[in-house]
Amino acid sequence: MDFLILAQLVVSGIAVGMIYGVIAFGYQLTFATSKTLNFGQGEALMLSSLVGLTVVQFTGYWIMLPIVLAFGMVQGAVVERLGVRQAIKTKSESGWIMATIALGIIFKNLAENIWGRDALKFPSPLPEAPIGLMGVNILPMEIVIVLGALAMMLAVETFNRRSIFGKAVVATANDREAAGLMGINTSLVITFSYALSSMTAAFAGVLIAPVTLTGASMGGALGLKAFAVAIIGGLSSGMGVIVGGLILGITETLTGFYLSTGYKDVPGLVLLLLVLSFKPSGLFGRSAIKKV
Amino acid sequence: MSLQRRMLGAFAATLLSTTMLASSAIAADPIKIGLTGPFTGGSASMGVSMRDGVKLAVAEINKAGGVLGRPILLVERDDEAKNEVGVQIAQELINKEQVVATMGFINTGVALASQRFYEENEIPVINNVATGTLITQQFLPPVSEKNYIFRMSANDIIQSGMIVEEATTRRGFKAPAILADSTNYGQLGQADLLKALAAKGVKAVTTEKFNIGDTDMTSQLLRAKSANADVILTYGIGPELAQIANGMAKLGWKVPIIGSWTLSMSTFIDNAGANGDGAVMPQTFIQSPSTPKRKAFIDAYQAAYKVDRIPSPISAAQGYDGVYVLAAAITQAKSTEGPKIQAALENLSGKVEGVVTTYDHPFTASDHESITSNIPVFGLVKNGRVVAARDEDISGANAVRLKTKN
Repeated sequence: MDFLILAQLVVSGIAVGMIYGVIAFGYQLTFATSKTLNFGQGEALMLSSLVGLTVVQFTGYWIMLPIVLAFGMVQGAVVERLGVRQAIKTKSESGWIMATIALGIIFKNLAENIWGRDALKFPSPLPEAPIGLMGVNILPMEIVIVLGALAMMLAVETFNRRSIFGKAVVATANDREAAGLMGINTSLVITFSYALSSMTAAFAGVLIAPVTLTGASMGGALGLKAFAVAIIGGLSSGMGVIVGGLILGITETLTGFYLSTGYKDVPGLVLLLLVLSFKPSGLFGRSAIKKV
Repeated sequence: MSLQRRMLGAFAATLLSTTMLASSAIAADPIKIGLTGPFTGGSASMGVSMRDGVKLAVAEINKAGGVLGRPILLVERDDEAKNEVGVQIAQELINKEQVVATMGFINTGVALASQRFYEENEIPVINNVATGTLITQQFLPPVSEKNYIFRMSANDIIQSGMIVEEATTRRGFKAPAILADSTNYGQLGQADLLKALAAKGVKAVTTEKFNIGDTDMTSQLLRAKSANADVILTYGIGPELAQIANGMAKLGWKVPIIGSWTLSMSTFIDNAGANGDGAVMPQTFIQSPSTPKRKAFIDAYQAAYKVDRIPSPISAAQGYDGVYVLAAAITQAKSTEGPKIQAALENLSGKVEGVVTTYDHPFTASDHESITSNIPVFGLVKNGRVVAARDEDISGANAVRLKTKN
C-alpha cells in the first residue's frame, strides 16, 4: 500500500514535470542561439492552445495539431521581430526582457477578449478513463504527454544535429560572430529559433490542455514554473530541462503528500535558490565565461 | 454685429429651453441604481447571471409604471472581481452617478473593500451573491449607527452548517476530509466547516489546501484516501473543484463530494463532466418550475437571454428578488433618500413574493440576512445540470420556505 502510494505520486509527478520540462525546453531553444528568452512563453502556450480549441471543433484533434504548430511558429517569429531583434541589434541588456513580457501581456488581453476568462474544457482525443498499471493509475493522455514531449525534444535535437539548417543553428549557438563570418545569416537563425520555441510551446499547449483545462490565465503559472525548471536544469542543456522538470514535478507531489499540501511549492523554490547559489548555470549547464 | 449676436443668442436660448423641456417630459427623472459585479473573468458566470436577473426585474417594474411613478435606471459597472476596481466603482457610482442604492457583489473581497464608501455616504447596498459572513456584520450597530448593507444570499455560516449537517447527520459519514483553496474564500470557509464539525463532535480526518490554477490534485486526494476519508467537503471555485472530481476518477477512488454552493458553477459542471455527477451543494434556488412564480421567472430569463441552462441560477434568482425587495422599500419610504430607504428595508411591512422565497419582514435593525438556514435546499449535479437532491424539498408545502423568526 505504501509503496503503491509512492509509485502513484512519482507517476503523477512525472506527468506534471514533463509539462514543465517541455515548456522549459522552449526557453532553452532561444537562449542557445541568442542568449535571450521569451518571457511570454507561457502566453505563447496559452494562445496556441486556445487557437487549438477553436480549430479542433472543425477538424478533430489530430488534424488540428499541424495547424496549431504552424500558428505557433508564426507567433514566435512575430515575438522575435517585434520584441527581440531590436534589442539584439543595439546589444541592449534588458530591452528584450521588457519587450517579451509586454508582448505576453498583450497576448493574454487578446485571448481574454476573444475567448473570455473562464477555464474551458478541451476535448480529449483519448478515453478519459484511467489505465491501471500494477495498481498505479495513469490517464492515457498523461502517457501521451510524456511520450509526445520526449518525441518532440528528440525531433528538435535531431533536426539541429543532422540537417544543414540545424547545423547553422548549432553554429550560431556556439559562436554567433564566427557563424556570421562563415556566411550564416544569424539573425534569420535567431528568428527561426524563436519560431521553433513557440512551436514547442504550441505543441505543449494542445498536449496538456485536455488534462489541465485551457483559458487565458493558464500560461502565467506554467510559464513561471517552467522558468524555475530551466534555471534548475540549466538553460544550455536540452537534457537538463527534462531532468529539471521531473525533479520539480516529483518534488511537488511528494512534498504535498508527505509534508503538507500547503507547502507544495516550497521545496521546488528552495531547490531553485540552492542551484542559483552553488551552480548558477544549472545542474546540467555548462558555465559560460563571459568575455568582456 | 450686435444684432446678429443677439439673434444668435436668442436662438440658442430657445433651442436650449426646448431640449430641456423635451427631456424632462420624456424621462421623468429616473431613479438611478448602481449594479456592480464581475461581468468578465473567472466569476463572470455568476456576475452575468446576477446582472441579467436584476435587469429582468427592472424591466418588469418599469413596464408596470416604475417606482414612485419614476422608472429605474441601472448604472452597470464591471468590477472584474478586483478589490481595487470595486473601490473605484463605488466612488464613481456615489459621487458622479449619485445612485440611490447599489446592488451587486459576487466576491466577498470586493464587497468588503467597496461597501464602506456606501456606508459613509448612507447609500443602501443590496448584496446579491457574496457569502462572506463578515459582509453584513462589518457595520452592525453599535459599530456604526445604522447598517446600510443587506444580503440576499446564504452566508458561509449557513452553508458550512448545512454541509456538515448533510454529511454527518443525514448521510452518516464519519470521516470527512476538507479540501479548500488558499484564497480568503476557501480558508474562511474551511474555518467555518471545522467549527460546524466540532459542534457535531466529528473530527476532519485531514484538511488539505490547493492553489488557484492547480491542475494536479494527486497529493491532496491521496492524503484524504490514506486517512480513510469517506466523504470530501469542498470550499473552492469551479475549475479547481473540477480537477478534484477528475483527480478522483483518475485515482479510481470515489467518495461523495459535498461542498459550498460553488459546486453549481458551470466551470465545475462542464469541466468535470460525468466525474462531477453526484456532487451536492446548498442552493437558494434550483432551476425548476416548482411554483408558478418560479416558472414565469425561468421562462422569462430563457426568452430574454436565449439560454436553456441559466449559467448560475441562484445568482440570477437572488439578483431578481433583490430588485423587488429594494423597490418595495423605496415605495414604502416614498423617498429616494438613503436613510429613509434603509429604515424601510429594516421594517418592510408588505410581503414581497420572490422566486427564492416570500420576503416577510426580511430585515431588522440587528439582522440584515434575508436567508436563514431553513431556506436553501441541496442541489445535485446530474447530467450537466443542477437538480434538487431531494424532490420533496422543492414540492408541496416545502416549495416556498419562509425565514424563521427569532
